[in-house]
Amino acid sequence: MFDFRDKKTEPDAPVAEVKSQLRQWPIQLHLISPAAPYYQGADVLLVADCVAYALGSFHMDYLKGKSIAIACPKLDEGQEVYVEKIKSWLDDAKINTLTVLIMQVPCCMGLLNLAKQAAQASERKVPIKSVVVSLQGEILSENWV
Amino acid sequence: MLEDYLNTGIKAVISQFPDVAAILEEYDIGCAPCSVGSCLLKDIVKIHHLSDEDEQALMARIAGVIDPSRPVKAPAIPRSRPAPPQAIAYSPPLRKLVDEHVLIKRLLALIPRVVENLDVESEEGRRLILRTVDFIRSYADKYHHAKEEDILFRYFDENLDILKAMREEHEKARSHVRAVLDALEKGDREEIVEHLNAYRELLSEHIRKEDEILYRWMDRNLSLTQVGGLFSQFTEAEEKIDQGVIEGCKTFIVELEEKAWDSKKER
Repeated sequence: MFDFRDKKTEPDAPVAEVKSQLRQWPIQLHLISPAAPYYQGADVLLVADCVAYALGSFHMDYLKGKSIAIACPKLDEGQEVYVEKIKSWLDDAKINTLTVLIMQVPCCMGLLNLAKQAAQASERKVPIKSVVVSLQGEILSENWV
Repeated sequence: MLEDYLNTGIKAVISQFPDVAAILEEYDIGCAPCSVGSCLLKDIVKIHHLSDEDEQALMARIAGVIDPSRPVKAPAIPRSRPAPPQAIAYSPPLRKLVDEHVLIKRLLALIPRVVENLDVESEEGRRLILRTVDFIRSYADKYHHAKEEDILFRYFDENLDILKAMREEHEKARSHVRAVLDALEKGDREEIVEHLNAYRELLSEHIRKEDEILYRWMDRNLSLTQVGGLFSQFTEAEEKIDQGVIEGCKTFIVELEEKAWDSKKER
């Protein structure tokens, strides 16, 4: 457990409304269909559930212009379906790129491993990037897989 | 004035102020041996992505050479020694090109052995030259340079001097290969050796520039969407080429290396 309440935050200055960059629904990986039109040829984000809460600039810096699915590699059941869906993004939806955003906690690595498994099993290859976010929302690493 | 030279080709700057070459060299900017040298001074500084401090110090030193009467004070920051080489994280499409360079560099390393004791009168000697030329044309040119010229360079402003320089070097490489074949026709051993060595020298420097400077600069300027598009276009281009030919090129290098190794052992 970590308590960040002492963390200094920006003063409550008036800011322009931050628009949502979400362009689809649903977003949970069990609920989405890889055949949905917004995945066709898209730059897709596969995001661990906690990332959007930790990363303050998630909408503008990552979600903008992309399609998304979220999942939790620690708590979600039926993850073999996840591998099939990611594989279908690559082979059937012919996505352009896949970016996997995870938290720095060890269990989150499972999501990246699911993406790697799917990529190995797929016939079509695409660039895959992994982004690791710290508990306090810093980008710890951004690497091509 | 330094400002007057920012839009001047680097070869012209170096020819007027030879000391500039040594200063660039100190910052690992190897323009002096470049065979083209048409890149502008300002673009060279930009493309090498120096730290702000290094860029300021470099420009101050060049200004001091160009106009010694108006010395510009360089910031009192010592030039940090180059960091130990690290694996560079190229994007997947540029990684493909860097990996292809490895096979080409293996051929370049073998050229001294190819030309050593080359007998153009014998069937074996002639076949060796023809297979070398076939590797260069099929793998280095058709498979690799074509991906750069027909796909990669089109993601950027093709009027950039650095891209014009790269195309020009590809053309020079092709002209060396044509010259090798002409010389083979005439049975002129010396000319074959001369052009193969010139090809080796040209491509070694060309690949170094691409790996260490150009591709890194490109990666900094490509969006995620462009990286995906580039990767997919490279894959399509590869699928159009007979994989048997590519495998044959790889086998040729392995055989040549084995032969070189055996002859070394015999000595």
